[in-house]
Amino acid sequence: MMQHYAMTFRNVSAGYKQRKVLDNVSFTVKEGEFVSLIGPNGCGKSTLLKTAAALLKPLSGKVELFGQDVQHIKPALRASLLGVVPQKIESPMAFTVDQIVMNGRISSMGRWGTPSSVDHDLVERSMIYTDVLDLRERFFTELSGGEQQRVALAMVLAQDPKIIMLDESISHLDINHRQEVLQILMNLNREKQMTILLVSHDLTLSAGISDRFLLMESGTLVKAGTPVEVLEPEVLSRVYNCDLHVQQDPYTGYLQVTGAIDSLRRRQKLNRSVHVIAGGGSGIELYRRLLIEGYEVTTGVLNRLDSDAEAARALNIPAVLEQPFSPVGSDTIAQALKMVGDSDIVILSQVPFGSGNLVNLTLAEAALNSVKPVFLADGIATRDYTEGKAALAFSTRLMQSGAKVWHSMSELMTHLQQQPDR
Amino acid sequence: MIMKRIKRSAVCADNSFTTQSRSRGAWRMLLFFAALMALLALSMLLGPSGIGIPDMESPSGSAILSLRFSRLLMGMMTGAALSASGVVFQALLRNPLAEPYVLGVSGGAGLGATLTILAGTGVLASFSLPIVAFLSAVVTLMVVYGIASQGSSGQPSVYSLILSGVIVSSICSSIIMFLVSTASVEGMHNVIWWMLGSLQPVSAGQQLLSAALLFGALAGIWLLSPRLNALALGREMAHYQGLHADLVIVIGLLFATLLAAIAVSLSGMIGFVGLIVPHVMRAIFGPDHRKLVPLAALGGGVFLVVCDAVARTLLAPVEIPVGVVTALAGGPFFLIILQRRMKQAWIA
Repeated sequence: MMQHYAMTFRNVSAGYKQRKVLDNVSFTVKEGEFVSLIGPNGCGKSTLLKTAAALLKPLSGKVELFGQDVQHIKPALRASLLGVVPQKIESPMAFTVDQIVMNGRISSMGRWGTPSSVDHDLVERSMIYTDVLDLRERFFTELSGGEQQRVALAMVLAQDPKIIMLDESISHLDINHRQEVLQILMNLNREKQMTILLVSHDLTLSAGISDRFLLMESGTLVKAGTPVEVLEPEVLSRVYNCDLHVQQDPYTGYLQVTGAIDSLRRRQKLNRSVHVIAGGGSGIELYRRLLIEGYEVTTGVLNRLDSDAEAARALNIPAVLEQPFSPVGSDTIAQALKMVGDSDIVILSQVPFGSGNLVNLTLAEAALNSVKPVFLADGIATRDYTEGKAALAFSTRLMQSGAKVWHSMSELMTHLQQQPDR
Repeated sequence: MIMKRIKRSAVCADNSFTTQSRSRGAWRMLLFFAALMALLALSMLLGPSGIGIPDMESPSGSAILSLRFSRLLMGMMTGAALSASGVVFQALLRNPLAEPYVLGVSGGAGLGATLTILAGTGVLASFSLPIVAFLSAVVTLMVVYGIASQGSSGQPSVYSLILSGVIVSSICSSIIMFLVSTASVEGMHNVIWWMLGSLQPVSAGQQLLSAALLFGALAGIWLLSPRLNALALGREMAHYQGLHADLVIVIGLLFATLLAAIAVSLSGMIGFVGLIVPHVMRAIFGPDHRKLVPLAALGGGVFLVVCDAVARTLLAPVEIPVGVVTALAGGPFFLIILQRRMKQAWIA
């Protein structure tokens, strides 16, 4: 017989009415694998789980469980193949723990809903496994978050599925029960060849127990592979948009992912100032990041009422402002030139250029002339609305005189850190 | 470690607490049935003609007894339908306020029934009454649900559902008022009498039809009841556990709407039963729908029968509308129960 994968995603795109969340995702999970699904908030991990469980129909592509299209598997059979522990379950009525766990057998019980001895045994065993036997007569609603989570796991285990997916279900648990639940999952994985797909935010913990990682970023699968292959500091730092380090524990051999603490500390005072050329909302994220990193920030020339001008005012960033909807005049440029003279670095955001703000590029030119580093956002050609692509020509000149190009926020921040101190 | 736990579970299994609470449940059930029987018997003894068993030898005596019995049947049917309908709405919408009235279903059924009463006379009208009431109730539910789901993906929120239910309900009653005010004197009389809510026996044909529909719907709901348990954890979780969640929801809503329509077409607008009886039954016997559905149907029926007995006796020969009694007498009594046992009924 052909060996089937436990789960296969074939070019799956999925989402909601207007918003596509998953974009052409393909991967396979072998039977008996322990896989961690990681990625920043909102990257589509939960949508992926919902699509895998046929709660969402893919817009295109196909999800298979053990070789069968999940959309065509009968619900009762699907429940015996795949169990899902959601982030949280809520019971509006006062069901006891017993009754909640028995729900796991719902699709295999007879028409009259009378549990057989097999059903009772599975419920009993699941409750033993998850250590909730003592809670059986208690009301589910009265339990603590961690206890509820273990009851939820017991309920899903009672389905006796071949695959279990957990949607950040263990993040509510205290350290003791988190270790315990992970131990349970590992035992099921090892002894019963149960396939586990765990959505996790604790990269270090997942690195210790997973065979494989799936790394997602804004709806796409960026990388799939062993922990060592996926947990690369450069990739992680880019996907999570912050500075991350990966170390191997010399005693256990486990990988450890940590945020860079010393860069956190340095953020308190940097004594370096950056002038940002922005407009049309292209500067807001730059302002935010630069302030968090501890830079002194100035900006201009902006038109009043521009969303960047509003943001600068809200963030107390000194800004040179021109009248609304007017071209940048010589007075304001002179003020801005003085500001650039006081700053150490000049950054050009992904601002669109027209005839009105083209003159802002002379600010970058002035900085280069006084040997200050200048960083231009890439893709200026697509944002150049001037006649004869004047901005593109100008920026090409700037690059020839030594301006560098930045592509992503994390790359830019790395560049900035490498600049020598004043 | 596992061994230790298994031992602990063995201890737990014949723990006296477990068996004790089981037998306590059995006692409670026995007591409940005894009380139901006693109340039904009592209601046969009450009436405007006097308290006690009427003289069976005289023709008026047996007529009184048969009238009391048919009102008992009317009460049982109406109360059971309202109460079971409330159970299902509350479970499927996961909402403690859900009931036929709040959702506008009763209002819609009432509108359909009013139109039928005003339009037709004779045998045909009494037969078509439950059917038209059901159809207009289904349409109303669809409208309410549709308005409430606007702008939300998937299930509408509790608040938008209640809000649109109340709005649609008041629109329906306004239309009823308009129809009544423009109707002929006789039609107005018929509709107003019916709307006040009373358990005056309807024609035998309509009673039979209603009884058949009622039993069908109750049986259907009872078959759904284990799935109602699973759906209490939400549509998503029920789907994961292998249910056709959406199908169960649609079928359940249709049955609940049918029940509400039966109640409205039999006895007019009787409030309160569909909301409060399910809560009280849940507080006493727990939320397991396999038990709750039949118990709530029985409890709702007997509750309405008793209220009707009080309504026709208290100010005899004047008869108080039974809806007044359900709210006035039942309200405080149920509030006390709920206050003491709310924790076991619904934790919102």
